[in-house]
Amino acid sequence: MNSTSIKKVAFKTLGCRLNQYETDALVTDFDKAGYQLVGVDESPDVVVVNTCTVTNQSDQKSRTTISQAARANSNAVVVVTGCMANNFKEKLESQDNITFVVENNRKSSILSLVDAHFLGEILHPNQLPQDVFRYEPVQKSLHTRSAVKIQDGCDNFCTFCIIPMVRGRAVSRPVAEVLESVRKTIENGFKEVVITGVNIGRYEDGAARFEDLLAQILEVPGDFRVRISSLEPDGFGDRFVDLFKHPKLMPHLHLCLQSGSDKTLLRMRRMYDVAQFRKTVNLFRSVYPDFNFTTDIIVGFPGETDEEFQDTIDAVKEFNFSHVHTFKYSVRRGTRAERLENHIPEKIKTERSAQIRELSEENKKQYLNSFIGKTQQVLVEKITQGIANGYGQHYVPVRFKAAGVQKNTVYTIRLTEIRGVGENMYLFGELND
Amino acid sequence: MISMIKHDIKIDESFYKVEEIRQLTDETFSLKLPRARFAFKAGQHISLGIHGDYQSREYSIYSGANDENLEVLVKEVENGYFTPKLRKLKVGDLVEIHGPFGKFGMEPHLALSGKFVFIASGTGIAPFRSMVRTYPEIDYTLIHGVRYSNEAYDRHEYASDRYILCSSRDQKGTYNGRLTGYLKNCTFVPETHFYLCGNSDMIFDALEILKDKGFERDQIHCEVYF
Repeated sequence: MNSTSIKKVAFKTLGCRLNQYETDALVTDFDKAGYQLVGVDESPDVVVVNTCTVTNQSDQKSRTTISQAARANSNAVVVVTGCMANNFKEKLESQDNITFVVENNRKSSILSLVDAHFLGEILHPNQLPQDVFRYEPVQKSLHTRSAVKIQDGCDNFCTFCIIPMVRGRAVSRPVAEVLESVRKTIENGFKEVVITGVNIGRYEDGAARFEDLLAQILEVPGDFRVRISSLEPDGFGDRFVDLFKHPKLMPHLHLCLQSGSDKTLLRMRRMYDVAQFRKTVNLFRSVYPDFNFTTDIIVGFPGETDEEFQDTIDAVKEFNFSHVHTFKYSVRRGTRAERLENHIPEKIKTERSAQIRELSEENKKQYLNSFIGKTQQVLVEKITQGIANGYGQHYVPVRFKAAGVQKNTVYTIRLTEIRGVGENMYLFGELND
Repeated sequence: MISMIKHDIKIDESFYKVEEIRQLTDETFSLKLPRARFAFKAGQHISLGIHGDYQSREYSIYSGANDENLEVLVKEVENGYFTPKLRKLKVGDLVEIHGPFGKFGMEPHLALSGKFVFIASGTGIAPFRSMVRTYPEIDYTLIHGVRYSNEAYDRHEYASDRYILCSSRDQKGTYNGRLTGYLKNCTFVPETHFYLCGNSDMIFDALEILKDKGFERDQIHCEVYF
């Protein structure tokens, strides 16, 4: 950066792990270029808002975040990117409080855009190169674990989903690039990498499929753990299950069920039914009885009857998801579900959502309880007021007294009790000497 | 230099001129477009828009992957928004196409070695015509459910011993009644792969029948029309 004063940059990120990873990569870019990373309330010269558009609520949160960030920093360069930037590009471009709107496929070049702006060059975001994998391995991060992006876009066209429209068609990052990114991420000091993308189960680079890539990632030398971000429940067999025997691969999957009703799944244009989902879960639990499954559920999808919703309740109970990320269905313009009949009133969606959340909390308590008296290898993510926070291998939240404990280090913790309630429930334990 | 210039030219391939409109029944017609460089696999669908209109709809491709034209099958929905506009299109009008999309279909090498049963309601026959035209040697049986037998679109293109017409409102089908009624009494060899395309009620009922017959869900492939 050719400037005598150090510029300050702030980031706000909404939505999925992929967005968080892309922000982390941008943080690394700006840090390397000499920018100072600050909060949005610390008078930044640049604010980057990485938005989400997956639901109405995401849109609302994104709009609010943009407004607040712009209002608090009226002299700053405000860059809006992410899926909302694709979905509402023209509308956002017409807003005076936004300097640049950058679509997802040009997001990785935001530093060039901002640098050019401070140098007095006139560069339009459309002139930035289009490359969804151009991100540098994360070095400076807002998080302890780092994601590695292996894939972008989706071709599934589920009837409720706007993602194919805002992230584009499915593309996979070449195996060699992924492995190099993993190596560099480990060299940069991260102890845990999260394999991420939009639909990573459909990874395809030549003959290499997702399992092939995962097997190679696990063989990268170094002391690190591997997690898999959310996954579509189709097409996994014995080989995938076997890979979890590798000590680096953590025993947790976020497998997106969306509904426990076959009829609803058909209307959603999902590519599996409940029986296939059951087969996958049972296959894993026959080998790893304490394997952790979490999921996404959409309640109030058009036409969802009481019986169909009950099927979902039954499925959440049967599969013992330790956490259910519950979404109330919201219309995304241009999707097929927008034109389906029998949209569900908001009041019913809210009631159904509350039921699933309640069940999710019961499941979580039951699952956490099964770890009392056992040990977990906990990677410490933060230390607050003498208490260390982190996650065990099974992605269970754990806290313990932090005397002599360091961040970004793995400790063996004997779990003694459950503390907290609801979403904030966690396991408390002590160092296992 | 010339080749460099050629590479720099980006042709917008999303707009196509309507080349022919084939009227198949009072309500149903096909739109034929030049295929040009549009590549797809039999069974896939496209998003079809009308030039100047912000809306678009998905249609399975009705033509074979190697045919000269790209063709879609359209049934006009009374009081609908989109299909009455498609109905008004004339030869030479522009439509916008995005795609191809979807994974409904089989790998080419399997198309020549497998045994297939195609189950369609109404215009859900579209991807199966594409498959049959793309893989002329394919071993298939097509069970087509319609209300009236004149909805047996392009019936002459299928071998008579492979095409089963189930008509529910006249007596001119191979089977007179709903296709699910026909399906209940069928037997199939265990290795059969089933492809279902049409409205969600038909697909759900057919799925249940096939599962009751002992077929695995992995053998049953679905494309839902709404």
